[in-house]
Amino acid sequence: MKQLVIAQHYFLLHPSGGIFWEETQTWLLADVHLGKVAHFRKNGVAVPRQAEGAFYSKMEKLFQTASPKRIVFLGDLFHSYQNNEWHLFEAWTKQQQAQLVLVTGNHDVIPAWKFKQLGLEVVEQLQEGPFYFSHFPAKKENQFVFCGHVHPGVKLKGSGLQQLKLPCFFHSPQQLILPAFGAFTGLHLIAPKEGDRVYVTSGKEVLELNSI
Amino acid sequence: MKTVAQWFSEQGWKPQSFQKKCWNAYAAGKNGMLHAPTGSGKTYALWGAIVNEAQQNQSLTKGPYALWITPLRALAVEIQQATQKMNTALLPNTEVALRTGDTSQSVRAKQKRNPSFGMVTTPESLHVLLSTKDHQHFFKQLQVVVVDEWHELLGTKRGVQVELALAYLRSFIPHLRVWGISATIGNEALARTILLGATQNYAVIKTKISKKIIVKSLLPKTMERFPWRGHLGLHLLPQALALIEQYESTLVFTNTRAQCELWFHALLDANPDLAGHMAMHHGSIDKKIRLWVEEALRNKQLKVVVCTSSLDLGVDFSPVENCIQVGSPKGVGRFIQRAGRSGHRPQATSTIHFLPTHAMELIESVALQKGIALQQIEDRIPYLNSFDVLLQFMMTLAVGSGFHPKTLLPVVQATFCFQTLEEERWQWLLNFLVRGSQSLEHYDEYKKVTVLEDGSLKVLNKSIAMRHRLSMGTIVSDAHLLVRYQKGGHLGSIEEWFISKLNPGDVFTFSGRNLELIRIHNMEVIVRKSKSKKARIPAWMGGRMSFSAHLSDLLKNTLFEIEHNKSPEFEALQPIFEQQQKESIVPQPHQLLIERFETKEGHHTVFYPFEGYAIHEALASLMAYRISLWQPISFTMAFNDYGFELLSDQAFDAQAFLDNNLFSPEHLLEDLQKSINVSEMARRRFRDIAVISGLVFQGFPNKPLKAKHLQSGSQLFYEVFKDYEPDNLLYLQALEETFDHGMERGRLTQVMESLQNKTLVWRPCSQPTPFAFPIITDRIRTKLSSESVEDRIKKMYLQLEKASR
Repeated sequence: MKQLVIAQHYFLLHPSGGIFWEETQTWLLADVHLGKVAHFRKNGVAVPRQAEGAFYSKMEKLFQTASPKRIVFLGDLFHSYQNNEWHLFEAWTKQQQAQLVLVTGNHDVIPAWKFKQLGLEVVEQLQEGPFYFSHFPAKKENQFVFCGHVHPGVKLKGSGLQQLKLPCFFHSPQQLILPAFGAFTGLHLIAPKEGDRVYVTSGKEVLELNSI
Repeated sequence: MKTVAQWFSEQGWKPQSFQKKCWNAYAAGKNGMLHAPTGSGKTYALWGAIVNEAQQNQSLTKGPYALWITPLRALAVEIQQATQKMNTALLPNTEVALRTGDTSQSVRAKQKRNPSFGMVTTPESLHVLLSTKDHQHFFKQLQVVVVDEWHELLGTKRGVQVELALAYLRSFIPHLRVWGISATIGNEALARTILLGATQNYAVIKTKISKKIIVKSLLPKTMERFPWRGHLGLHLLPQALALIEQYESTLVFTNTRAQCELWFHALLDANPDLAGHMAMHHGSIDKKIRLWVEEALRNKQLKVVVCTSSLDLGVDFSPVENCIQVGSPKGVGRFIQRAGRSGHRPQATSTIHFLPTHAMELIESVALQKGIALQQIEDRIPYLNSFDVLLQFMMTLAVGSGFHPKTLLPVVQATFCFQTLEEERWQWLLNFLVRGSQSLEHYDEYKKVTVLEDGSLKVLNKSIAMRHRLSMGTIVSDAHLLVRYQKGGHLGSIEEWFISKLNPGDVFTFSGRNLELIRIHNMEVIVRKSKSKKARIPAWMGGRMSFSAHLSDLLKNTLFEIEHNKSPEFEALQPIFEQQQKESIVPQPHQLLIERFETKEGHHTVFYPFEGYAIHEALASLMAYRISLWQPISFTMAFNDYGFELLSDQAFDAQAFLDNNLFSPEHLLEDLQKSINVSEMARRRFRDIAVISGLVFQGFPNKPLKAKHLQSGSQLFYEVFKDYEPDNLLYLQALEETFDHGMERGRLTQVMESLQNKTLVWRPCSQPTPFAFPIITDRIRTKLSSESVEDRIKKMYLQLEKASR
């Protein structure tokens, strides 16, 4: 795990792709894409059902690291229209003590009132002190942005023509893009610029990268 | 009424003996196989037989009576014209219809209402016909299926498609006759059995036409500037231009579409007078343009056509006088076929000019000439257990009339490809379609194929049926986008992954033009013409071909003759051999040379077994795997037809390597299997499998279909199967194919045994040698690592985006 200090607040980058904001005891998660596997299956594409369950076991791991007062989903919580996965999610929400917040994204086509029925707060963005939380990347004058949407990944190079593609936390001067938390989601490769910092996750560790 | 023979003499032709043999054998009710080169008159050998019979029995003129399957659409057009000509003369009021992917909806509907006597089609379009509800009724008059260019289909998944279609047609047309037409190949008996099935009632007819083929290598004036590597061959542009001048018309064959675009530009730049007299032909270029090129070639309007394998097959271009092959054709059979494009008339001499792209290819040229002299033609290895194709076929039946598992299983088992399909796997396949390969669970909403009350399987959901119809066909490629001018006018289609690397304003070369990308919209790439001289060339995938086993044997024999070979090619190569001898050695037949040197890229270890690309791929991953067992190490591997390279950031110990007997054939298959799993070579195979089996739906450029939220790449599927369903048959198929088809498992054991008996010569070198150069500069690499991901990350770095962009 990797700790960052941003505007004098402490943030913990977890290998699963979540970020724990210590001051407010909040887990930030982006692009979970729940129900994606079920959506594919409903349309005749045989993705293994087990891939869907990954979300719940990953959440368990996060809670072992830190039990939250709040969980903020930075958009694309559900991949598509409602399917049976909704019931599993409903059962899961009932067990949660923490406050649940959904910052909506482009995939969130399920109406807000359905989420509200499960006790989620639904907002388009969230502003708290020096921080701005949204699904899409954004530029804010005096605020630092946490967002998702991109599914960021980078291509690493090494001696011996080695290459690796890995999901990453992408930290530019005024913004941090979270990797996609969902299991059956792809990567979008990003080319970092001078001044960007990249923390890749291997699933087990979060590592900062040097650039040339 | 005129007979076929009379019509022949009217045309001023004399039936050749193989044609008469075909007519007789067909009249005797036989199935058969005709081995004849393109341009020999093979079409009328069979069509004449068919027309003959129909003349005797007018009740047979209802359609479709005869089905003619060809691998290429371009070929289908040609065949349709030729057969129609005969029909018009000899069977008045009968027609031969053309049914390919290009056939419009209205024409299809007409064909259905009023089936014509003959139908020329492709394997894909035949399957589309099988996906209609009343196909059994439609085909009730069918007597004969002719499969043209069977050698082209045999070693491919489209061949499996043909096998399945034939087995299925035979199941409700028991008296169906099947004829194949094939160029000469190594494994002719197998090719025949696969096509004709178990029947003993067949004839094999061979032409005695032996075409004279002359091969000439293009040599540079001096070898000094001859590159050791590279794949373009542009250094020989002046020689190529001089040749083009000499002849009325020339075909320039390239191995990849990128090479094709480059050569087109280079020729035009070097000789602007060629503008208007030259054209380009490759698979990505718009159909209309391709048809125009073919027509213009026939009418002698073009002096040069730069092309890829898209012009390999039998379309008749008799006016072509000269062929230039750029780069190695990688096989004797293909070379003969391409040479046959020139002097495309019986008995005419074919000349082909070989233009080597790097020095080592000159050796190939000599080897190829020997192969032609010995008529050593390659085998075509058929696919086995292609579950992806089978699933697609089952879906095809399920979207049409439906099928019953009990009746379909024996039909499938009757094919060569699925002869060993057992009940358990059949059940898995059915379960894949019905339940998405899961057990029945309350929550699961999987929907694809429904089991009806009588136990038959059928697709009831319209959008699933539609998606299947749009994605049928086994020629797989990356998602394609249509390239279109802003003001209208299509240019062809281009792979999505190439376009995704460009930004609006970037200029790329396509269809011989420099185009500026404006935007991508609705699966279309909108472009305008650009005057910019700098343009990126799309590097199309799939340009890689392996050396055939025959050619690698020929190559080895040729190479070991260095001492006494006096051909102009070897003389030209002398400086390079001398350099190699100075820095390392030129290995003798009893030696296996291994070179080790260091560059800024890392530590290179290069092996030279001279066994061909496929075997080297297997050997490289096997060696890498065995070495990685002693120490955590990461390799990237490159291979060509001469040897392979293991590149690593740390040097592994030479002595340990020599002491450990790494070439031992013991545990060969087991180690190889493990190395395939570790190196993830199967990923590449899985790409095709995912598309064919319908997991990945790409949509179609000109038929945008709403598939929102259903887009996903094959890589992602590979990951989830690996992690969550490693016993999935499609995932296992990817591993098996890598093993069998990619690596020639059978030959590998023999190679390992012969390598064991060789003396290993380990040469530390101060720099890359001439032999090593083409291998180590290859950027297409496989990886294998026994280090942890975390350890590897710690040694790596990020490349920053360049400031200029």
